[in-house]
Amino acid sequence: MNENNQMRDVFDAIADPTRRRLIHLLAEAEEKPLHELTAQFHMGRTAVSKHLTILKEAGLVHDRKVGRETRFRLNASPLREVQDWVAFYSKFWSTNMLRLNQLLEEEEE
Amino acid sequence: MSLTLSMDFRFTTSIEKLWSALTDSSKLAKWITENDFKPVVGHRFQFRHQPSEWWDGIVEGEVLIVDEPNRLSYTWATGDEKHTVTLTLQDLGDGKVNLHLEQTGFSNAQGLEGAKYGWGAWVGELEKLLEQ
Repeated sequence: MNENNQMRDVFDAIADPTRRRLIHLLAEAEEKPLHELTAQFHMGRTAVSKHLTILKEAGLVHDRKVGRETRFRLNASPLREVQDWVAFYSKFWSTNMLRLNQLLEEEEE
Repeated sequence: MSLTLSMDFRFTTSIEKLWSALTDSSKLAKWITENDFKPVVGHRFQFRHQPSEWWDGIVEGEVLIVDEPNRLSYTWATGDEKHTVTLTLQDLGDGKVNLHLEQTGFSNAQGLEGAKYGWGAWVGELEKLLEQ
């Protein structure tokens, strides 16, 4: 989990709706400059920038300077941790529910 | 942080039979695992699954809501994870019953703030995002 030197828990990073929206915006393009991202929100550049910093600390976003602007790019791989976490429980319940279905069918017979 | 797993299952049965399968210890043993569950608010129980090398198999819980035959909720804790499972039953008529499952997950110290709206749907989108 520490391969990107994550300073922040990925679950923490995506607990906020603005940051989830940022992830989706970045998923639509290879790379986006800050001003384009800011235009999508009813909040200032500084606020959006703070959210991006949190995503960066979780390894979800990479940035680079191009001239005077900063461009951001998504790195989705830390999300796998979230997916694995959820997949475990959804598999757990799906398997059990199949058994429940069998039990209910047997009762009907 | 908080996260909700939201799933729906449909069964061909009556709402009473589904309720019984979700609350009767001997029936739970048939589809989940050995347990000492009772549909009594405040009752503490264990589900004892077969242990594996990475899981002791024990789920500990406490019953939170018993609203027969519509809603059942209990805490569901294993290892470091403490979750709340809420089961909502809905009679669809025609001998069909929908079971809606929500599992809200809270990881350790980070403030137990409850489920955030939008999480359920977002979980489904994760997979797409990761495939890109």
